[in-house]
Amino acid sequence: MVGLVLLLVGSAAALDYVHRPDVAGAAPGWFWGAVVGLWLFAWLVTARFAAAAPPVAFGRRAVDLIVPVLFGAFLIFLWEVVTVGAGVPSVLMPAPSAIGARIAQAVPTLRDDFVQTVLRAVIPGWICGSAAGFLIAILCDRVPFLARGLIPIGNFVSALPMIGIAPIMVMWFGFDWPSKVAVVVIMTFFPALVNTVAGLQAAGRLELDLMRSYGAGYLQTLLKLRLPAAMPFVFNGLKINSTLALIGAIVAEFFGTPVVGMGFRISTEVGRMSLDMVWAEIAVAAVTGSLFYGLLALAERAVTFWHPSYRRR
Amino acid sequence: MKRALVTLGILAATGLGGSAAWAQEKVTLQLKWVTQAQFAGYYVAKDKGFYKEAGLDVTIKPGGPDIAPPQVLAGGGADVIVEWMPAALAAREKGVPLVNIAQPFKRSGMMLTCRKESGIKSPDDFKGKTLGVWFFGNEYPFMAWMARLGIKTDGSAGGVKVVKQGFNVDPILQKQAECISTMTYNEYWQVIDAGLKAEDLVTFKYADQGVATMEDGLYASEEKLKDPKFVERMGKFVKASMKGWDWARANPKEAAKIVLDNDTTGAQTEKHQVRMMGEINKLTEGSSGKLDPADYAVTVKTLLTAGGEAPVITKEPKGAWTAAVTDAAGIK
Repeated sequence: MVGLVLLLVGSAAALDYVHRPDVAGAAPGWFWGAVVGLWLFAWLVTARFAAAAPPVAFGRRAVDLIVPVLFGAFLIFLWEVVTVGAGVPSVLMPAPSAIGARIAQAVPTLRDDFVQTVLRAVIPGWICGSAAGFLIAILCDRVPFLARGLIPIGNFVSALPMIGIAPIMVMWFGFDWPSKVAVVVIMTFFPALVNTVAGLQAAGRLELDLMRSYGAGYLQTLLKLRLPAAMPFVFNGLKINSTLALIGAIVAEFFGTPVVGMGFRISTEVGRMSLDMVWAEIAVAAVTGSLFYGLLALAERAVTFWHPSYRRR
Repeated sequence: MKRALVTLGILAATGLGGSAAWAQEKVTLQLKWVTQAQFAGYYVAKDKGFYKEAGLDVTIKPGGPDIAPPQVLAGGGADVIVEWMPAALAAREKGVPLVNIAQPFKRSGMMLTCRKESGIKSPDDFKGKTLGVWFFGNEYPFMAWMARLGIKTDGSAGGVKVVKQGFNVDPILQKQAECISTMTYNEYWQVIDAGLKAEDLVTFKYADQGVATMEDGLYASEEKLKDPKFVERMGKFVKASMKGWDWARANPKEAAKIVLDNDTTGAQTEKHQVRMMGEINKLTEGSSGKLDPADYAVTVKTLLTAGGEAPVITKEPKGAWTAAVTDAAGIK
């Protein structure tokens, strides 16, 4: 704990020093030596925390959280110190503080971009693509002939390069959100399909025989045994699709959009040399993607509480 | 005898190497777009040996949709870049110290091309319509024009709806936009080739509307220009480049072929490039390479009056151009 306090004080001093007008862009050699020393010290402090093994559950959870937070915070500290201290042009790599300032100033724009890209394209596309994959997987399960015909086609469609598809979707569905939804649907369909198909085969022979001995029909077996058993696979597909959907919607906006959206903003601001705005959008996308994935992970935990992987070791 | 031969070999290698290194000064030029007749002057100067005559070893880097020349310059990937003045001034204001050292293009080729059936006859008819605009730093002249007309671009009532146009002409063909951005030397002819006729179109030249800005100019880093040797090297480069442009105007077909020879993508066609060369020559005609201060002043005034919430530039730029290079080249 004393080490942590010293680390914080040292970092604050370094940040204050590097932002002085006469130091920014021309930090002296001893300063870099001090930064390296601070880095080694941070390493020691983090290692000590990681090695600690508190007996109580709360303490254990706190340590699990402190280590990555410390690590991440120090990385951001280094980023700030290096970009400011070495005078790195902002068109190559803006400092975290500049990005933070831009985020604070551009909240209305970031919100509009979020609405356009995430609420109008990512979520509808993710829902449609995943639902389509799921339903067709059930259909394939019921009709084996269909499975042999459709799965190769699904495989083929998933292999289509998104960068090639996006301009075509713009031509078919116009410049606004529908064409982005179409791209997302195409990207998310196959992962949902293959994961659900695999999941439906996950029910054990013993359990199936038990259902048969109860006299359960196809529908009952599906709803009470096979779908529940497939949930780990289904959620795997949904989690994969959450990140694919975000990437797809953003990149699809590189090819014809209205003048709003995360992808539009990123591509146009790069050309304008506003890298701080680009990073602001990237930060929003990263947080959005992480939250989306996190929510799905929580839902998965709630739905598949029975799975052996959750048992306490 | 064997020793003598080895010695001679070593001497020859040393001499040749030293000689080559001493005689040829390296210059890297970053273009603004893909290899096409828009940059014929540089390719001609290279292939015809004008750069070599000037003692320069020039590397030409093609541009493309994802390349912002000012960024390449800031990153040290080029000595000189081709850029449009609005984007260069905007980049300068953002901390990339670009300086115009020459202006091969005297005239602007920027246009807005509309379907006649949309009912548009004059800029007053733009309200309520959908217009295609390039972004990535190419939107500044359009924003300046709309600001001049007092038309909002956020799609609100009484304004225009703007779509980010890809680097093609699909929006006007698919009727997704009533008007699209075109250059006299490129997209306009793509529209014609796609089947629409000149009589089906209404075209507004930015130059006729009084909102044209300087286009292809040569820019270098302010820092590097403090070195007299660099200025001299740039002077040789500009002089040889202008010789290339003069040759291209005198020999348009041959110049187009030189461009095709340098196109590694194989995407360009002779028909398109010969026609482009003809249109480009209209833009470079009358330019000695020296930037006319009056032209610069018009561009700056246009950009400053493009007010609204997001002005292209917020204040008169200082030190954004220099005549030192063209003076060193003996260009008047």
